[in-house]
Amino acid sequence: MAAPVKPETATGAAVRVRDLTVAFRTQEGPLPAVSHVNLDLVRGQITGLVGESGSGKSTLALALLNAVPAPGQVVEGAVEIDGVGDVLALRRGALRKMRGADIGYVFQASQNSLNPLKRVGKLLLDLGRSHGLRDGRALIQQSKALLADMGLDATRVLSSYQHELSGGMRQRVGIVFALLLNAHVLILDEPTTALDMLSQAQVLEIIRRIHAERHLTTLIISHDMSVIGDLADRMAVMYAGRVVEEGPTASVLACPRHPYTRALLAAMPRITGDTAGARALPGRPPDLMSIPRRGCVFEPRCPLATPACLDDEPPDTYTGDHRFACFVTAGETQ
Amino acid sequence: MITAQGIARTFPGRGSMLRREPVRALRGIDFTIPDHGAVSFIGESGCGKTTLGRILCGFEEFDGGDLIIDGQSMKALRSRDRAQYFRRIQMIHQDPYSALNPTRTIGQILGDPLHLRARQTGAAAGWVRDRRAELLGLVGLDPDYVLPRYPHMLSGGMRQRVVIARALTVDPEVLVADEAVSMIDVSLRLGILQLLQGLRAKAGVSLLFITHDVATARYLGPDGELYVIYRGMVVEHGGTDAIIRHPTHPYTQCLLSAIPVLRGIEEPGPDRLIPLAPLDERTQPPGCLFEPRCPQAAADCRAAVPELTQRADASPGSASPGSASPGSASPGSASHEWACLHPETRSVVATVAS
Repeated sequence: MAAPVKPETATGAAVRVRDLTVAFRTQEGPLPAVSHVNLDLVRGQITGLVGESGSGKSTLALALLNAVPAPGQVVEGAVEIDGVGDVLALRRGALRKMRGADIGYVFQASQNSLNPLKRVGKLLLDLGRSHGLRDGRALIQQSKALLADMGLDATRVLSSYQHELSGGMRQRVGIVFALLLNAHVLILDEPTTALDMLSQAQVLEIIRRIHAERHLTTLIISHDMSVIGDLADRMAVMYAGRVVEEGPTASVLACPRHPYTRALLAAMPRITGDTAGARALPGRPPDLMSIPRRGCVFEPRCPLATPACLDDEPPDTYTGDHRFACFVTAGETQ
Repeated sequence: MITAQGIARTFPGRGSMLRREPVRALRGIDFTIPDHGAVSFIGESGCGKTTLGRILCGFEEFDGGDLIIDGQSMKALRSRDRAQYFRRIQMIHQDPYSALNPTRTIGQILGDPLHLRARQTGAAAGWVRDRRAELLGLVGLDPDYVLPRYPHMLSGGMRQRVVIARALTVDPEVLVADEAVSMIDVSLRLGILQLLQGLRAKAGVSLLFITHDVATARYLGPDGELYVIYRGMVVEHGGTDAIIRHPTHPYTQCLLSAIPVLRGIEEPGPDRLIPLAPLDERTQPPGCLFEPRCPQAAADCRAAVPELTQRADASPGSASPGSASPGSASPGSASHEWACLHPETRSVVATVAS
């Protein structure tokens, strides 16, 4: 039996999130959107983060850039990135340099995040200038190589406005922006949402290839378990601001231990298997106001809940490098 | 019952005067939506499936062929007289976040069409209130909770249910769902799909389901029919399960190959196909429209446009041994037909790992 590996002792992590809590100031007092999260992004691997809308995935990812928008605020914890140190301690100039040079971020709905009034080439030059790169010609050469690498007609894309590009093309341009300054950590927030199946498959294949060729450490965020299940080496399942299960993708999908992960898998429309076995997830995802303040956050929707689940938050249980937070299934033998 | 015969639609082209070329969104499509049936259109963005849905709802004109609703030809009617037929076909919009007026409560949103309906049918005073509660019950919402609330106070899944309830206010015979689940969380999709399937029996409606995700079409009922649409033409048609099990047109095989495969619990299909190039609507190939992107294209594909045909012996080319017999797929479902000169069944769909 493998010895339990706690995140603190895991080696080879390019990004280490420790005990991170992000709260939003409201009239009801501070409400945590991300609560005591520990997560390692293993160097050279693709980590997937899956959860419903409002589970805190994007807030967590923005905290990696120290870019949580007000009224949100990191109240506790640390985010350490290789070659940068604690991101949450960085200020102004250093912070701006880190964004782009160390971490590339492809925003949710990046299809619409380009300035519609400027051509793509102009936007790329702006990006270089804002990071103090004077050699525009070299920058354009480099972006042409990247665009061609993604199967795009570089000359045409550089002289296009965003509305002249299809959804899949804009998504790939978003990835070019994220990688142009040679970031070693790539974060993609819902990179294939709103794309059709063929474009999605193409974008996923490009992410897979670029990740391997550039030896990146990649975090991909999605509400779609199938995207994560196809692409990620490791996956983390988020619910109500907590990472409730985390481990190697094949292990989490084949032997899900948290009742929420099991419910998500059963609620997925699938192309294989029996449609009669599918079960819709009962209840609705909690928002900041309705997250239980005591006990397990999944208790109100959990089919396995016991009275004990109302009192305390379940601690992480480890089996090898797979962890989950549930009192009930911790007693199951594998 | 609704029958479309050779529906065509051409849009005037955009761009400069010299390069302007008309866009042929639909090139003559035949289909039938049987009473209480479930018909799905699948294809990538830009294949014309949304235009087809809009024509069916009367939002868009067609410029070729005919649409026959309950035995009445739409081409023969003046547009004013068509309204009473199109009332029977209601659209469920893709985006539940923008389909509801944010300044009105759910009670008002459902009340308006019901008052209109009450005037038409001469219903009694309390009918609107009862019917409103009945419809919300049908879509699985609690009237006391939902009625006084504004759309922003509801989750995406609940809003989509309100949109469906609103479509049901005018007693439609057909619901057209255009990507009705693609904007909502995967965890909530199954609930909406099961609701739509249930409405076929409970509300007596038939469904036209437009999607790029074949997997969702499986959840509308075992007797569902599938039309695979490519550049405004039907390239494959048959029972949903039959096509997923024995996809025959290379385009269908590309669509099915693109579905993500879950590590640890699924094995990818051995014959997965990837299109050679992205969709280019500007080219007009002389033969098969899919030929420039088709990984299996042969020389004669450039010479002739393949017709939608059905092989007499039912099992094409190299159907895998031990495959289900043709009749067993789904009793009473459509015949399986395709438009390809070199039809061959391939195993492209992932299987559950043992």
